[in-house]
Amino acid sequence: MDLAFTPEEQQFREEVRAWVKDNLPAATAHKVHNALRLSRDDLQGWAKILGKKGWLGFGWPKEFGGPGWTAVQKHLFEEECALAGAPRIVPFGPVMVAPVIMAFGNAEQQKRFLPGIASGEVWWSQGYSEPGSGSDLASVKTRAERQGDKYIVNGQKTWTTLGQHGDWMFNLVRTSTEGKPQTGISFLLLDMKSPGVTVRPIKLLDGEYEVNEVFFDNVEVPAENLIGEENKGWTYAKHLLSHERTNIADVNRSKRELERLKRIARNEGLWDDPRFRDEIAKLEVDVVALEMLVLRVLSAEKSGKNSLDIAGLLKIRGSEIQQRYGELMMLAAGPFSLPFIEEAMEAGWQGNFPGGVVAHAPLASTYFNLRKTTIYGGSNEVQRNIVAQTVLG
Amino acid sequence: MDFDFSNDQEQLRDAVRKWVDKGYSFERRRATVAQGGFSRDAWNELAELGLCGLYVSDDHGGMGMGPTEAMVAMEELGRGIVLEPLAQALIAGGIVSGYAPADVQAQWLPKIASGEALVVLAYQERQARYRLDICEAKAAPAGSEWSVSATKSIVPAGDMADAWLVPAMLDGKLALFLVERSADGAASRGYGTQDGSRAAEVVLDQAAATLVTRDGLAALEHAVDIGIAATCAEAVGVMDKTLAVTVEYMNQRKQFGVAIASFQALRHRVSDMKMQLELARSMGYYASLKLNAPADERRSALARAKYQLGCSMRFVGQQSVQLHGGIGVTDEYIGSHYFKKLTQLEMTFGDTLHHLGEVSARMQDTAGVFA
Repeated sequence: MDLAFTPEEQQFREEVRAWVKDNLPAATAHKVHNALRLSRDDLQGWAKILGKKGWLGFGWPKEFGGPGWTAVQKHLFEEECALAGAPRIVPFGPVMVAPVIMAFGNAEQQKRFLPGIASGEVWWSQGYSEPGSGSDLASVKTRAERQGDKYIVNGQKTWTTLGQHGDWMFNLVRTSTEGKPQTGISFLLLDMKSPGVTVRPIKLLDGEYEVNEVFFDNVEVPAENLIGEENKGWTYAKHLLSHERTNIADVNRSKRELERLKRIARNEGLWDDPRFRDEIAKLEVDVVALEMLVLRVLSAEKSGKNSLDIAGLLKIRGSEIQQRYGELMMLAAGPFSLPFIEEAMEAGWQGNFPGGVVAHAPLASTYFNLRKTTIYGGSNEVQRNIVAQTVLG
Repeated sequence: MDFDFSNDQEQLRDAVRKWVDKGYSFERRRATVAQGGFSRDAWNELAELGLCGLYVSDDHGGMGMGPTEAMVAMEELGRGIVLEPLAQALIAGGIVSGYAPADVQAQWLPKIASGEALVVLAYQERQARYRLDICEAKAAPAGSEWSVSATKSIVPAGDMADAWLVPAMLDGKLALFLVERSADGAASRGYGTQDGSRAAEVVLDQAAATLVTRDGLAALEHAVDIGIAATCAEAVGVMDKTLAVTVEYMNQRKQFGVAIASFQALRHRVSDMKMQLELARSMGYYASLKLNAPADERRSALARAKYQLGCSMRFVGQQSVQLHGGIGVTDEYIGSHYFKKLTQLEMTFGDTLHHLGEVSARMQDTAGVFA
């Protein structure tokens, strides 16, 4: 039992910290630290910088050109990026589809798709959810019919995060209606510029366009874009969902945002208000406890001695904490979080924000936006079912 | 960063668990409660296992172990809702070793380790609640020694103890003394507490005392932090067992023709209990791993831990009772005894609101396990 990272791990952290300091664009970090609007260029710019260094696929093994880091190193890398104000790595390419292509794709697919993901050149989107398939993902209805050497895809995906920027999309499609719903699903890669693909952004409650509907109208997909075997897609999808377990807790970002909450509370004169201060103190303990939980999982992965079946807990707790800091930041600004001035969420806006503090502008939007965290990635109620299953049988 | 236990630690866990399973049945515990809530025989058995001397060095007849071993032992005792307050032996061993002059160490540590001397911390006063810096007890020189006058409350096994560690004001500053129960002017009145264990009011009227340290506040804070870490570990054991019996009950209890474990409303509560247990276990680790940190860092960490543990204990205990239904509120069923233990542990060494206040007062700009 030892809480400290090893000297080697500590040194690794220092190296990452120094590199991020030198390479993260200051303008991007400023936006992240103040929750200002991030453009496609902000996100992809950082992805390409990481790609050039070979770190965009930070979870990749060496054989596929990744750094081959341990679970602890990956955690430290993410922590250093988060604390420095780097935008989140858009996960759909490097974190989600790449491991599936590595594990189940053929050599040709690996050669064709992995380099573009590793460099950040190709933007991937996720085609999982459908209007009728949320938590019950196995009920997907989007059809892919085999015709010669291609599939004809018809149907609709939704909640496709940042799909408006997408070049390629990985999809769960139905290739059979025989047997259990899980057995007729295939995993198909689709060029979003194909004829018949329509992307329609969905305006969310915060006024932002973060997710999309994607419609497929007789879209032709070469059969060579099928991953693995037909009707085995559910297995691959589960592999994807089981990947990067600690990542979903997002504790590093919560640490950064807790610091931001404290800054806001100070500026609002709430630091010495015992009622408000105690709420921050509770959140601080929540964050520390979550970090300990994450470290336990990492330690178990490192030693392989004790497998901890608490991934569901990480998602539940991590998302609750994200919602709580968003809520407290908004409440800290009080009525001055209410003016809805969209331009004020752009960096460099020179207007007069009511009350004079432009940092108030995104607080309510962030609060509204973070309601998604207990819904996506398997709603927290589904996660509770999973946890209960492990405990109760 | 490593949360695996060593082989020696696993062996210690096995030994304590074996004693709890074989030697500390619910029936034995019940008999002890009926006889007042403390068994010297059980205490001696803990000493034979080496646990009373866990923090006492080899030189003085102890095991010379650290907080992780203490955590392992306390967790296992928690699983058996053991009445005898081993946390007090950890405090006595740790504080006498760390703060007392050599002659006092030589005189007391071997006896603490062997179980011959039960030494407990007598610090709580009516006016102070959980605060450590408020103390009405007074000490004065008496010949070459000292005398202490004090009224201390809810002292664990206080009327069974051989000596008490007593904080008292000396020259306007808090100092820590050791007072033997046999001293002239020392009186104690024992009673049972809600969890079935024993406590006492201790009244000292110019009782002869040995000075442990003039650095009394530092020693007392350290003593309480040792107690908090032990309590956290014990609570994890109690909660682990509480969840286990709840799960077992839900899988065999049938209503509407099916096991109640099949109802989603109840399943989600179990999931929430598991969450609180694992957060508590995580912070229990944190508490023990920070116990040897510099005082400021240690205090802050232990307050965070006790806050989390307090929240977890209350939640797990209350939910367990609810999920059991009527059987959960009977004295006959073991579940209610876990619940009462958790309730008492929440209010031991500072309750949840107290420690929230501590966390709040100590808050820095940054936060995390490593800050």
